[in-house]
Amino acid sequence: MQHLAQTTSEKELTSSSPAPMPGTMSSRAPPGHFTVLYFASAASYVKKTSETFEAPLPAAKLFDVLEKKYPGMKEKVLSSCALTVNLDYIDLEEDSGEGQLVLQPGDEVGVIPPVSSG
Amino acid sequence: MSPTEDVDAYVLKLRRQVRAAEVQLRDLRRQLVQAEKQADEARNLNKNHDRGLPFAQQSKRLAVLRNIGQEQGYEGHTNGTEDRSQYARSKRRWPLRKEEYKRYGRQLIMPEIGLEGQLRLRSCSVLVVGVGGLGCPAALYLAGAGVSTIGLVDGDTVEESNLHRQILHSTEKIGMSKVDSAVEQLRSLNPLVNYVSYREHLTPQIALQMFDRYDLVLDCTDHPTSRYLISDTCVLLQKPLVSASALRTEGQLMVLNNPSRAAGDVTGGPCYRCVFPRPPPAESVTSCGEGGILGPVVGIMGVLQALEAIKIIVAGISNPFDADGNIDISTVGREEASNASAPRQESPSLLLFSAYTSPPFRSVRLRSRRKDCVACSASATITRASLTSGSLDYAQFCGFVNPVSVLEKDSRISANDYDAQQFMLEWFRQTRGSEVYGPMTDTIIDVREKVQFDLCHFDRAINVPRSEILADDEPLRRALEELPARRQITVVCRLGNDSQLAVRKIRELRRRGGAIGSAETDDSLVMDIEGGLRAWTRNVDPEFPEY
Repeated sequence: MQHLAQTTSEKELTSSSPAPMPGTMSSRAPPGHFTVLYFASAASYVKKTSETFEAPLPAAKLFDVLEKKYPGMKEKVLSSCALTVNLDYIDLEEDSGEGQLVLQPGDEVGVIPPVSSG
Repeated sequence: MSPTEDVDAYVLKLRRQVRAAEVQLRDLRRQLVQAEKQADEARNLNKNHDRGLPFAQQSKRLAVLRNIGQEQGYEGHTNGTEDRSQYARSKRRWPLRKEEYKRYGRQLIMPEIGLEGQLRLRSCSVLVVGVGGLGCPAALYLAGAGVSTIGLVDGDTVEESNLHRQILHSTEKIGMSKVDSAVEQLRSLNPLVNYVSYREHLTPQIALQMFDRYDLVLDCTDHPTSRYLISDTCVLLQKPLVSASALRTEGQLMVLNNPSRAAGDVTGGPCYRCVFPRPPPAESVTSCGEGGILGPVVGIMGVLQALEAIKIIVAGISNPFDADGNIDISTVGREEASNASAPRQESPSLLLFSAYTSPPFRSVRLRSRRKDCVACSASATITRASLTSGSLDYAQFCGFVNPVSVLEKDSRISANDYDAQQFMLEWFRQTRGSEVYGPMTDTIIDVREKVQFDLCHFDRAINVPRSEILADDEPLRRALEELPARRQITVVCRLGNDSQLAVRKIRELRRRGGAIGSAETDDSLVMDIEGGLRAWTRNVDPEFPEY
């Protein structure tokens, strides 16, 4: 998409905090951006706990955006993740609703891999 | 009178006597039946309420006892004698035993619990699967709260590396079965609870029978295979499930299958497969032993599990139907009665804990059951038969090959042989000099994470962490390129599993880079140490740290 191509050429990433250092996460995305929070193995994979991307973005495109930035992420992490938007679990595969869900500025997306250990 | 008339009269007299005796016997029999029935009733009342009768039943019991007493010549209780105390005791019965009032007093006086909540706790059986970092705190608080029965499932023994977080065990118990160790400690905390031991790992074949006698299950295990198995079993048996996990500095917690309903019933709570329908890639699954874990992190999740379990029990486990679909009378009316004292059940949620982020707790609202869930939807394919027959291979579903053995025997070198080899090399170096020695030395690649590498490593080892190898070929390729040709490569890791995968990766990279048949592509030059550094400590150098 041309829109995406534009954003990747300019540095659209404005705030990200490295994992696993102690510290606070960026609590507010810059205007026109939404935040992605990474948990567990997703945070290890991208080596940060949060990141912002330009909004609006159809939720269905999110995984493509992440895969482009972190090749292999879809297969190695995202395929088994639970996805949340503003603390609500969403399912990208369900026909109704989520397929057309668009991520807006200020939204908070959670990428939550299952943790099995204990 | 004639002699025959005398005999006839005697016969008549006897007949009359027999008839009278028969009537009397019938009467006595009837009285016996009645008395036995009354005695049974009194016994049942006693048993069902464990010597604590609700006041409404008191009068009935007294009536029963009075009847029996009257027939036995009881004339009413005497005043001020020792006999009175016996009758006094039977006159007043409290719902809980004296020591229970004391022991649970601090939670009894809370409106959220109260007498009713405690009675529910006391009649509830909980199964704790896994007696490790999660199971230890969970079992402790459940025992403390006074549930009826706690079942504990674990096939492992206590190890030293458990003790920083598995707080139910202790140093003297190293080597003991975890379940035995746990029961010993739990019993000393609360002997009023009944403890059931299962010194084995959970398998699909035994799961259904094991879970059946419990009202609620806690998943305190450490592997995706067991998590799916436990969830499937709970859906099949309609038991609520409290599932938690933790690794490094993060934890997850959710209450699943609550309300617990049969598959296809949309009012039921989501199961594990509704939240995580696809298992994580096998190579990404990290154990506490590999990834590390901070004690308080897993402790928090275990304590929260106990808390959620208590909340569920006190609110009334909302499963009015037993497994055959018949109404279980004892549960009907519970929820309505509890509404006054307990908060309404909220929609299911996934709790995320992260020790190093702010805020540390985040709660995600979950959906109800997935429409196409293979375990709990109308189109479910998982049945009891698929569990007991063994046709459901959870290991396969999660992508696990049985303990990593992907390299042929002669691609591996034992710790002792490697030691001998190094010894010989050293002799060569001393006798023939470094020109001969140089090309003979191997390159040691240690694929543990940097944090572990820094703890201890072979002098000549270079560190190419497994996580980097998984993410990207570059670090490994660079390391290989810098090696002179025909150099043996020895790969090592902690246990000898990751090193095998790394050997395969190295061979693959070299084949891609070099011409077929050339020295670079000679697979035999790449080997790993069987059993890893642990084997080195145990067989060669006991001073080398084992952790």
